[in-house]
Amino acid sequence: MVESVDHLSCQEVVELVTEYLEKSLPAEDAALFEQHLNFCDGCVWYVDQLRTTVDMLGKVREADLSPDAKERLMGAFRDWKRS
Amino acid sequence: MAPAQSHPSSPLAASDEADLVARLRAGDERAFEALVDRHYGMMLAVARGYVRTRSVAEEVVQEAWLGVLNGIDRFEGRSSLKTWIMRIVANIAMSRGEREARSLPFSAFASEQDEPVVDPERFRDETDGFPGHWRAYPGNWASLPDEALLGRETLDVVMRAIEELPMPQRVVITMRDVAGCSAEEVCGTLDVSDGNQRVLLHRARSQVRNALERHLDG
Repeated sequence: MVESVDHLSCQEVVELVTEYLEKSLPAEDAALFEQHLNFCDGCVWYVDQLRTTVDMLGKVREADLSPDAKERLMGAFRDWKRS
Repeated sequence: MAPAQSHPSSPLAASDEADLVARLRAGDERAFEALVDRHYGMMLAVARGYVRTRSVAEEVVQEAWLGVLNGIDRFEGRSSLKTWIMRIVANIAMSRGEREARSLPFSAFASEQDEPVVDPERFRDETDGFPGHWRAYPGNWASLPDEALLGRETLDVVMRAIEELPMPQRVVITMRDVAGCSAEEVCGTLDVSDGNQRVLLHRARSQVRNALERHLDG
């Protein structure tokens, strides 16, 4: 996945960020990734933006189960029980 | 009413799960109600990954519950009850969803996606001293006023960005980041490898970030 041996470019960082956040980068690559962040504010902000994006996605909510829909489900259950 | 739990859909201990399954088989209405309260929101989110409207998603979930009841005698516990339920939802939603959803396995979408997630123009080229480095840094969103990120408008941008994703990416990001499923649950529900679900998640999150960037910095 990581092509250069001793350092990552910003262009490589943006492709590895999910693997980094998911903690699925091999240890050596994770070390290179973090080394890059130590010297690059642009990529620190990019990684922060991705974290913020995930936080925002967590705020999207479907409305709760409506009493009607729940009543239909409980009715379906009683039918099933009788069958 | 749904109980006010912080993680209503977190995994059950194996013994609690076996108990719930036994009660359900015996026709215990409270066991069914507990299961509905626990999983309905996540089921709806999964269905919404496949179908366009809330009302169709609700139909999918209703139908999925019938599938759960009719199949509970055959549930063998090879996956968790939750993953088993989510697979039922995904199968029904897929048959109700878009045509492309039915014609190709998810893994086919993951493998063809090696297009860059950020416009290559944003990076310096080979003729430059630092090829592959930012021409101009992305914005520091921590310096934005709170209301820029918390406003209703920004949330709408996120929701629209999800809707515009291709189906497999939309399903994966909805399960992982909206419904809060684990990577393992997504793989178990959709029959994709961990690597494939991560590629789909990566592309989906990157596209939502791109949309947010256009909104916040544009």
